[in-house]
Amino acid sequence: MTERGTEPFAVGDVVADQTYWITREHLVRYAGASGDFNPIHWNDRVARAVGLPGVVAHGMLTMALAGRLLTDWAGDPASIIEYGVRFARPVVVPDDDAGVAVRVAATVSEARDDGNVALEITVRVGEQKVLTQARALVRPPVPDGARAE
Amino acid sequence: MPIDPSVVGRNYPPQPYEVSREKIREFAEAIGDRRRSYVDTQAARERGHPDVVAPPTFALIPVMRGFDMLMADLGIEFARIVHVDERITYSRAVTVGDRLQTTTRLDKVRQVAGNDLLTVRSEVRDEQGGDVCVSLATLLVRPEDEGGSGD
Repeated sequence: MTERGTEPFAVGDVVADQTYWITREHLVRYAGASGDFNPIHWNDRVARAVGLPGVVAHGMLTMALAGRLLTDWAGDPASIIEYGVRFARPVVVPDDDAGVAVRVAATVSEARDDGNVALEITVRVGEQKVLTQARALVRPPVPDGARAE
Repeated sequence: MPIDPSVVGRNYPPQPYEVSREKIREFAEAIGDRRRSYVDTQAARERGHPDVVAPPTFALIPVMRGFDMLMADLGIEFARIVHVDERITYSRAVTVGDRLQTTTRLDKVRQVAGNDLLTVRSEVRDEQGGDVCVSLATLLVRPEDEGGSGD
């Protein structure tokens, strides 16, 4: 854990930062793909009846988008060793064409001796954090290595 | 209504889930991920995989089926459940053709502000018994009599 100039990753480095848009169409697709047909993700009436402002995204979809950031950075799904999140706030998805913007960023929180990198992930809608305690342990990409994808 | 504490420690038998090429494709499309290893066998092999692999959170499909089974057993309806947190530890990527076996265990139940908080541990293995991943989830169950505001 000594700070060396040759280390490819340093604590505090923002390694990825990306905005994803979620629309109602995405929710329908994700419901079908995942098998999660909870009506709060597609039915405003049911969502409001349980006290939500309207249809909300599947927490797992938001988690999957942040996961995409991780695999895009690491280069392969097998590079993800551990990944966890807390679903802190619902992501309300408006019934329009634009949807809602979810901004995901990953910051190095620890560069381990075995070469693995612990990341702290922030996931925001506007200024609000929708996922908290979002962390991953990842085998980082090889610097200057072949980027096959 | 609080959950009977005697259900803590309850283990549910392994549930099979066979990973298909089309389901991986459908899932990758649903999360907007165009990675070639999710659809193209050759591309996956070039990355050292035996065949097409799935995005990391694909593993939650069999895990959530276990949640459904648990909730059905406890008599809890869908709309009362809120997923509070989720952590997955991976031994390897889920690969097309995997015949997964997922065991679900209710590890802990505690009451917080009138809600039940359930800790659920799911272990996903392959046909040979090899570890694929372990999921640790907290599920919040809202009380039955909560009417919600408005109509």
